[in-house]
Amino acid sequence: MSAGSAFIQILINGVLFGSMYGVAAIGLSLIFGSMQIVFIAQGAVIVLAAYFTYWVFTLTGLEPFFCLLLCLPFFMALGWGIYAGLFHKVAAAGKNPSLLLAFGLMVLLQNLMSFVWTPNPRAINTWYTAVGLSFGPIQISFTRLMVFLISIAATGLVFLFMKKTLWGKAVRGACEDMRAASLLGISPRRVNSLTFSIGIALAGVAGVCTATTYPFDPYFGFLFSLKALIAVAFGGLGSVWGALMGGILLGLLEGVGSYLISGGWADAISYAAFLLVIMLRPQGLFGKATRAV
Amino acid sequence: MRKKISRNSCLLFAVVTLAFVAFPMLVDTEESYLVYFFFMCFIYVALAQGWNLVAGYAGQASFGQHAFFGLGAYVMAITWKAGWTGFLDPLALVLSGAGAALLAVLVGVALLSKLRGDYFALGTLGLGEILRVVFTQGGTLTGGPVGLLLPSSSYRSLAPYYFIALGIALSTFLFVWLLMRSRVGLALVAIREDEQAAASNGIHVLKFKILAFAGGAFFSGMCGGIYGYFLFHIHPLGFFSLNWALLPVLMTVLGGIGTLLGPVLGAFVLTGVFELANIYIPEIHPIFSGLFVILVMLFLPQGIMSLGGKRIVPRLFPFLFGSSK
Repeated sequence: MSAGSAFIQILINGVLFGSMYGVAAIGLSLIFGSMQIVFIAQGAVIVLAAYFTYWVFTLTGLEPFFCLLLCLPFFMALGWGIYAGLFHKVAAAGKNPSLLLAFGLMVLLQNLMSFVWTPNPRAINTWYTAVGLSFGPIQISFTRLMVFLISIAATGLVFLFMKKTLWGKAVRGACEDMRAASLLGISPRRVNSLTFSIGIALAGVAGVCTATTYPFDPYFGFLFSLKALIAVAFGGLGSVWGALMGGILLGLLEGVGSYLISGGWADAISYAAFLLVIMLRPQGLFGKATRAV
Repeated sequence: MRKKISRNSCLLFAVVTLAFVAFPMLVDTEESYLVYFFFMCFIYVALAQGWNLVAGYAGQASFGQHAFFGLGAYVMAITWKAGWTGFLDPLALVLSGAGAALLAVLVGVALLSKLRGDYFALGTLGLGEILRVVFTQGGTLTGGPVGLLLPSSSYRSLAPYYFIALGIALSTFLFVWLLMRSRVGLALVAIREDEQAAASNGIHVLKFKILAFAGGAFFSGMCGGIYGYFLFHIHPLGFFSLNWALLPVLMTVLGGIGTLLGPVLGAFVLTGVFELANIYIPEIHPIFSGLFVILVMLFLPQGIMSLGGKRIVPRLFPFLFGSSK
């Protein structure tokens, strides 16, 4: 394999992997946009969805990708429950309590999963797990390609929802200015429940994707949350496609960084890029400067 | 404007200090679990109070205190290995603090001038994560992922650790107490309340923010140093663990952010709860800890210091309300 095609292979893998960061980032971006909460437990919810998929697959033999349909309503309800039961009350108390609440939820979920499913890494093995599609010298894993397509579809659906429905318009308005939105009769409570439902449902999607492509353990989620945060910063807050592009960019950066320098530095490179972006372009790489932060 | 420190609060402070100084003389320091427990409490008190200075008083919530904690431990270990300092050397601890403070100034100039609110919090979080990678990749100087092993044969007794940690906690407390009664403290609170108004009144916003950031970092670095002396093994995962940033935050909020006694109460309560859970329900201890955090945020988001509104806590500790909100 020549150096050129190896590089293309790395780029493709970066894009495919980054799309998963992107889906997680959209959820974070929506929740931050409407409530100003950094929902650090997003990664733990993703791992929960991965275990859910693993469980359903092991017990019933249901295809993991069909499990997505089962997962979506369940995680939407979970998101609604998390907002109604926890964040609705605490959000009034300020930012620090909300952040710590999310932190507590993360610790609780991680250790609950470790208690129920043991801390050993799990992976789903189906007949197509190792199948790859060849395009000349380039190999593309079937599951990763599926993950990429699902990510694009999920992003597209959320985008259409935000642009074409009245509810979506309310969410966009609330993300821009919650006070003005509530003066116009938009109920903050409903909008926040909705963004939480969508955000957690997207975590469910990312979880199913993780389960089919990579081994995971209960503590894998925190790193995922951090990566999703970086992706949000790259894409700019409140932008659906921006978050997906930010995730893909992060995947590329990590892939190319580990190829050119070394795998150990990949994390430092992405954090350094993250610091540079929030300092120099706080509105995101693709956003326009509209308001000061 | 400045209130005199009441006699009662001085008395309370002196009594508590004396009690902690006398405590190891009453028990067998090598057998008593409490000596170790208080040692950990003191470290957390200093970490929490340091964070309280930056976030509670100056209003700049940082999530990168683990960067300073870890750096302090490495400064201690590297200077000891190089033979510049010795075992339980005060100079090493001061160097740990100074190293952390220096990093805080360097980073603070870049981050604090540009970032506010959540962006500053995320930026400092990134700083801690970068530092962990840097020390993991640091080659022979930092020992790579394995870290640095120190001569554990130097260990004699837990008592000196107890007193040094007590000293660090006390000096952090006094530093923040006196600082918040000075003009600097007034400037910090003004910046927290309204940055633009503070600037238009002639306060050099960046200078004071960096001062608070470096002050918090100094004490975090010293904590890293003494904890490094205790473990004799400095490794990137343990010393740059995000827990060193998040637990002090949790303790401060639990106790009452922006109050002098809040971080102290929070550190003791939370360390106590976690240790008790570890002893009595070891299997589900981490689950319980997560649940505890959620319950506290649900039912006591403003912290212990807000209990009883303006009645119980202010009457018991009137000096707390001199320089806080």
